[in-house]
Order: sequence, then C-alpha cells, then structure tokens
Amino acid sequence: MSKIIEIEDYTWKYLNTQQPALNKINLTVDEGSVIGIIGPNGSGKTTLAYSMDGLIPGQYNGIKQGFVQVFGKEVESYAKGELQRLVGVVFADPEAQFTAMTVEDELVFGMENLGMSIAEIQERLEWVTELTDLTHLLEKPPYEISGGQKQRVALAAVLAMTPKILILDEPTSMLDPLSRRRIFGVLSRLKEEQQNTIIVIEHSLENLIPLADRMALLYEGELLLEDETQPFFQQTEFLLAKGVFPPGVVKFFYELMKAGRYSGNLPLTVETAQSELVKILTGLPKQETKSN
Amino acid sequence: MNKTLLGYVPNESPIYYIHPFVKLFFLLIVSLFPLFVTAPEWNIGLMLAIILLMWISRVDMRTLKIYIPIAVSMGSIILLSYTVLGGTHPEFELIVRIIGVNIYWERIRDAVIVYFRILPMIFTMVFFLTTSRERDIIVAMRSIRIPFVVTYVFAMALRSAGMVLEDFQIVRQAEQARGFDPAGKSIAYKIRQYVMYMIPLFALSLRRSEEFTNALVARGYAFTGEASRIKRPDYILTHYQFKALDLVFTVVIGLLFIILLVMHYGYNFFGMETSWLIQLLRDVVS
Repeated sequence: MSKIIEIEDYTWKYLNTQQPALNKINLTVDEGSVIGIIGPNGSGKTTLAYSMDGLIPGQYNGIKQGFVQVFGKEVESYAKGELQRLVGVVFADPEAQFTAMTVEDELVFGMENLGMSIAEIQERLEWVTELTDLTHLLEKPPYEISGGQKQRVALAAVLAMTPKILILDEPTSMLDPLSRRRIFGVLSRLKEEQQNTIIVIEHSLENLIPLADRMALLYEGELLLEDETQPFFQQTEFLLAKGVFPPGVVKFFYELMKAGRYSGNLPLTVETAQSELVKILTGLPKQETKSN
Repeated sequence: MNKTLLGYVPNESPIYYIHPFVKLFFLLIVSLFPLFVTAPEWNIGLMLAIILLMWISRVDMRTLKIYIPIAVSMGSIILLSYTVLGGTHPEFELIVRIIGVNIYWERIRDAVIVYFRILPMIFTMVFFLTTSRERDIIVAMRSIRIPFVVTYVFAMALRSAGMVLEDFQIVRQAEQARGFDPAGKSIAYKIRQYVMYMIPLFALSLRRSEEFTNALVARGYAFTGEASRIKRPDYILTHYQFKALDLVFTVVIGLLFIILLVMHYGYNFFGMETSWLIQLLRDVVS
C-alpha cells in the first residue's frame, strides 16, 4: 500500500497561544487503511484533522513547522479548493456544516462545486442516499431532522464528492448508540466496497475498534502511541494512564491478565472475548471450576 | 404537508404546478399594483383576489387570523398619524375639533387610501411566503440567471436569520435556567437586561461564521481562485420545468400590469375622484 499522507516533525501553534496545539507529529497513512485517532479533549485531534484537509494553515493563523504532505504534495501548495477534492472532512457538529436549504441541495452542493455533470450528480446522489438511507429525507430542511439523520446527511454530503481520503472528526459525539452504529455501519460498507482511506477521530471505541486497521493516541499535542489496533490495545496500562478507557471487554481481560489468569492477546470485541473466555473456562481444572 | 416560509401547504396544493419564478414575479409585480391605484375599492378587490388565490392554493386560512391584530394596529397608527398628528392645515376641510386637535376630511381620506394600499402589498407578501420555501426563492433567482454567489449569499442570510433566532432561544433559556425572570419588570429594566443576551449571541455568531467558512472550504467552494472558475452545474434547477402554463401566468401578470399603467396614466382610472368608497366615506364623515 502506498503512503497517502505523510506527516513529518509537524508542529502547529495557533496565534496568541503559549503551547503548540500539535508538537513534532510523525504519522503516515497508507492508502485504503482506516486509522482511529483517540485522545482526551484538547489533545489536538481536530487540529490534526484540519491540518490534513488544508483548513490549517489555510483558514487559521499560526506558526507551522515540519511537513504535512497529501499525495506527496505539501498541503499549502495545493490550489484553492484542490485539496478539498481529495480530502473530505465531516465535522463533529453536523448542523454547523450545512450550507443549503434542503437535504438534496446539501448533498449536491459539493458535487456542483466540483463541476460534475448533471448525470454524474444524479448517479452519485442515488448511490449516496441509498448508502446512508436518506432517500425519504431529500425534500426536508437539513436542520429540521433528527441528530442521527443530520450526521448521516453531513457524511453523505462529503461522500458524494468521493474524496480519496475521508476524515471524520468525532462524527458520533452527538448521537445515541443506535445512530452511532448506523454511522459506523456506513463506514464499514465504505471500507469493504470502496476501499476508502478513512481517518476517524472518535471517543466511542466499541464502534471504532472493529473498523480501524491502526490506532493513534494524541495527548497534549503529542503523538504518544501509534500502532496496529491489536498491539495498540495491548498497552492498556499506558492507555489508562493517559485517560483513555478501552472497551469493557479489553479492561476485563486486562484485569484477568494482571491476575495471572490470561496471557494471550487482549480481545477487542465481544465476539473474540467470548471465544477467549470459553477457552479459559474449558481449560480450567474441574475442581477450580466448581469452587468458582 | 410541506413547510413553507410562513406556514404549511398540503402536498396536493395546485401551487406546486407553478414554477417558483412565476411566484416571485407575482410578488414583485403585483406588489406594485396598489402604488398606481388610489381608489380603495380596487385595492380591497386585489386583496380579496389574493385571499382567493390562497384558498385555491389550499393555504390554511386560519393563519390569516394572526394578521388581524397587525392590520388593526397598523390601521390605527396610520389613522392617528394622519389625523391627530397630521398638523394644522387651514386649506383643508375641518370636520371636527377635539381637545384642540383639528381633524380634517383630507387627512382621514388619505389615511384610508394609504391603509388600503399597504394591505394588499402585505397580503401579496403573505401569499408568497405561505406558498414558498427558501428553495423556491433560490430557484426563482437562479432561473433568471442571477449569479450563484448572489443567490447563495441570499440563502445564507435566510439560514443565518433562523440560526440567530435559535441561538437567541438557547441563550434565553440558559439565562432563565439561572433564575433570570424579566416578567413583571419595567421596560427599561428589560432593555437593560436584554443587552446581556447580545454578548453570548455575538460570540456564537462568530463561532458559527468560522464553522460555516470551514464547511464551505471543505466542500470545495471558493469565491476566488482556480476553484471559483469552474462552471457549476445547477442540479436543483433540473427539477423545475418552466411549462406553457407558467408562461401564460407570467404573460397575464405582465399584461395586467401594463393594462393598469395604461388605465391609470391614459384614462385617469383608479383615482379617488371616481371612487364610490371615498364618496361613501365622505357622506359618513360629513
């Protein structure tokens, strides 16, 4: 897989702030991979997302050091609007990104900006509304639908532009569990069917883990940990120390591991945890099973 | 039911057969009619015609009740301004003198004429707003080739007006949740306290504009530079066909306006001299 984003020794300090929002970040993203970025509030996750889309330094004043390259080209060297055709961003607050009066207008706005033909717009509109289940909402104003629907509209509006890279900045932070699952369902389909490169900034790890190929931990502007998802969560003690709370199954097996009852890879999902638990229970001597 | 700018219109309404441009054309042209009509009976007729159009369009007529207090208060203000606050005019015909205030026939007549000029204009606007959505206005503007930037800025203005109102509600509820209750207080107190709403509203507006700019940039929109030179297709316009019926309506509206101008300037029609309603009023007042 080729490297699609390369960030090297990247530091960004907003104007009139003492500390840099991001400090000496080194990160590469492979084409077609899904990366989950986690970290406490104020750790620089949104700044990193904006840096990869060119909103930083384009729309913000500050001091930049290092390199942020997308498709081998520094973000500032892209012409206005050019980078946004390659990188799509879905923001945390869906309502803040609505620019049109109906869901349909909202979905086609980006495609019109790209200068697509009417036939192509029609085709993509059908595809994206089917993917995100929005067909019945096309005539509605986007600010009058439910929170989950709003976020699906925001996601669909970006997807319709078919960017090579999709960045989602806490896309489910305002949603209920069911709506979260639907958003991640869409992302799973994208990963399987379109092989998109997806970067997800998210606190809901239960949904993120099954999707992510790699994980990265940002903490106070620094990239403290970056690895494939399984080994990333093997470092549970470190994650807990940095305020990241892995899903219940990971913590449960981590406690078993600390108690000397388990020694394998920490299971990341309920399904793998179940099979690991069966192995543990069937491996126990009969007397011990009874006493427990 | 479909939500419009000022209410709801059922899905089955015949108004949907009309192209948004025709509605906008109707608003712009018919609003001018009363300017060339002095005789109130013609303006009342226009008002009734608009109410009939609203009924045909299946607008919920109960919404008109909202405008009754507005119409009454507006009428009272106009009448007071023209009569009580109308000043002294020895050249006018004095009807009565109340507590040192001269009430002239000409001022009463002018107040009635002005009032019945404004009412149909308001009704035309109400008809347009109750049968149109924001999208209709944008489509109407784009269909006459108004530049995208202009229509877009207009759409953003419509949207931000709604957002400011929403934000105002949030700020107000937050203030009330912390015990602020202006009920029963003096107007001066209320005005003073309302100033404090402005600070969070201003901060929210700044944040909103930043988010909005980011959203536009992220969607590849640019007012300047290479990206702005791309020829934008207008997908939404493909949903709207300007049919023969629309052409007929547009021509009829245009012709009516021309006839009105010819009658007014050529034959001195619609003047107050020939108005039976003014004559009736004159008899009543005398």
